[in-house]
Amino acid sequence: MVNFALSLLFLPLLSAAVTLIFLRKNGNLASLLSVSTAGGILVLALGLIFSGNEEPLIWDTTWFAMGGWELRFGFFIDAPARLLLFIVAFVGFLIHVFSLGYMADDPAKSRYFGGLSIFMFSMLGITMADNLVMIFVFWELVGFSSYLLIAHYFQTDESAKASRKAFIVNRVGDFGFLIGIVLTYWTFGTVHLIELSDLADFAPSLISTSLCLALACGFVGKSAQFPLHVWLPDAMAGPTPVSALIHAATMVAAGVYLLLRIDFLFTNEALSLIAFLGAAMGLYAGFCALAQRDIKKILAYSTLSQLGYMAAAFGLGAPGVALFHLTTHAFFKALMFLGSGSVIHACHHEQDIFKYGGLRRRMPLTALTFLVGVLAISGVNFLSGYFSKDAILLWAYNFNLPVFIILYLGAILTATYMFRLYFITFEGDARSEHAEHARENSPLMTFPLLVLACLSVIGGYHALYPNALGEFLASDLSVVANLPHHMWMVILGTFAWVCGLLVARALYSNAKDSDPVEDRYPSFFQLCASKLFFDEIYQFYINRVQDPFARFLEVMELLFISGLMVRGSAGIAALLSLLAKACYIGKINAYAFWFLVGTIGFLGYAAGFFGN
Amino acid sequence: MLCVSPNHFLILACLLVAVGFLGLLIRRNVLLMLMSLEVMLNGINLALLTFARVGLNLDGGIFVFFIMTVAAAEVAVGLALLVALYKKRNSVFSDHMSLLKN
Repeated sequence: MVNFALSLLFLPLLSAAVTLIFLRKNGNLASLLSVSTAGGILVLALGLIFSGNEEPLIWDTTWFAMGGWELRFGFFIDAPARLLLFIVAFVGFLIHVFSLGYMADDPAKSRYFGGLSIFMFSMLGITMADNLVMIFVFWELVGFSSYLLIAHYFQTDESAKASRKAFIVNRVGDFGFLIGIVLTYWTFGTVHLIELSDLADFAPSLISTSLCLALACGFVGKSAQFPLHVWLPDAMAGPTPVSALIHAATMVAAGVYLLLRIDFLFTNEALSLIAFLGAAMGLYAGFCALAQRDIKKILAYSTLSQLGYMAAAFGLGAPGVALFHLTTHAFFKALMFLGSGSVIHACHHEQDIFKYGGLRRRMPLTALTFLVGVLAISGVNFLSGYFSKDAILLWAYNFNLPVFIILYLGAILTATYMFRLYFITFEGDARSEHAEHARENSPLMTFPLLVLACLSVIGGYHALYPNALGEFLASDLSVVANLPHHMWMVILGTFAWVCGLLVARALYSNAKDSDPVEDRYPSFFQLCASKLFFDEIYQFYINRVQDPFARFLEVMELLFISGLMVRGSAGIAALLSLLAKACYIGKINAYAFWFLVGTIGFLGYAAGFFGN
Repeated sequence: MLCVSPNHFLILACLLVAVGFLGLLIRRNVLLMLMSLEVMLNGINLALLTFARVGLNLDGGIFVFFIMTVAAAEVAVGLALLVALYKKRNSVFSDHMSLLKN
């Protein structure tokens, strides 16, 4: 089993290394290698998940030791880890296959596929890691691969800026995470998850709100929650399959997964803060999505809002439900991102939804599968999103009404903007040259769509999950099943998506080249499009506070370090060298003179003439 | 009555060393500089012999033999170098031998 896990972890790293060393010029071979690696990961992961009994796999060894202190490297693969492992391996494999089609004409294929392999390596590392330091190492690695892949089209200014923004904003969150790890070690004396869990049970007084909030900074950065959400929409500058894999299905969900891993450290205050922040994110991102024209940015905001739902579920004390929503979200969001990738590929990299239109007739398979995704995320009855999202809503309804109200408004908005996206993209008439000549893509790209569409339909029936996967979900979901007000929730849930559908149909089904809401309610549209000025505020902070401070530090550095210390010591050496140079005149007579003076000096010293 | 005492020999030795040293400093002809060195060595030899004579033992005399042997060898090598230098540079003046300076 351990060998399985080790080879699972290091297979993609090996593939990335081979790509880096041997296949830099050979994109086709690199892509085949990467896809077969993803296939290998899937096989190994399935083997790891299903071959063992339901006991968690626990194994560790010394990574390195410093004196008496040592850092462990180990695996802790319990039920939630198995489920995430399945998602990463399965969705990852489908997205690799999709990439074969999507990136077929790309000139830098080997860089792209090498980056994907590095990402798979680091994501699997987060999934299986058994201590916080190891999680942190892989956490940074996913951040790095995300940076690498967002910057794939680095020739464009947008992409280069977005990758830097993603990297730096994530560093802000990760700094908090790092402080949290140090605090954890300080308080508990260990960072090992199982030992931490035992200690937290044994001595609950050690747990503090500041500690778990510091750790939650990692989640806030990686899952792009308030106030560090600004990087995710910009990250859409990367290739679409990357957006599907990293910025929708797996990496951003890793933040929620981190919360699950350390949920025993959370105090009630911290939990309710996370619940409210998550719920607020769900609503805020919905409003932002309403005013976007870029198909991928709409999906990005929708990801933000769904991550908010997961955070809310976790904050309300239902980690199983959060993981359930993470699972279904991975399916339908990856589906929609790949669908948008298919549309973008067919329309020659046009991303403005108002330049599409009428694509349903030209790309029936993409349109159909995309519709399944839209229905699933909107919570249409008996699709996957219905089960997971309504479980969160029902939980909130029973335990925290204010959160429920925010989430419910968010649910209506979700249905509205998703149907808006669908109507504008796939219905009506083509509004541009490219959309008129769009054709359905090759089976390489439609096959993953079909598989994900099937999963988006049946993914909500958690009773169908094999026990190895569904074990962690079962307890929380059985609590959900026994909560009161079930009927009421079904009615409310149905009302939400029908409401969204009707609003979107009334507003957008006859959309022309401009947004009908912008024409009719310009002030509301402007407010949504402004995204509440977060980017502007951060820019202001950077321009007015951070840059002056950096310049001040630069001056200090110039004055003291580079001026006084570096140049100063060099100056003293230069003075000495001037002195030494004066003695060096190149005349043998002078040297003989100094030699004799020196000899007499030594003799005088030996004879005691200098008072010694 | 003027009598030759060891001090006179020592003063002569010091004068010889001083003359040799001044010659070394002032002369620019390397051949003459080598000769100045020999004068200095001989001054020292004289001083050593004086001490040997005053002290009534042979240590100083033996030392002088060694110095003369070494001086002979040194002069042989020095002259050979000088001849080689002269062939190469057509000059025996130390002013023209400042290759390391420039």
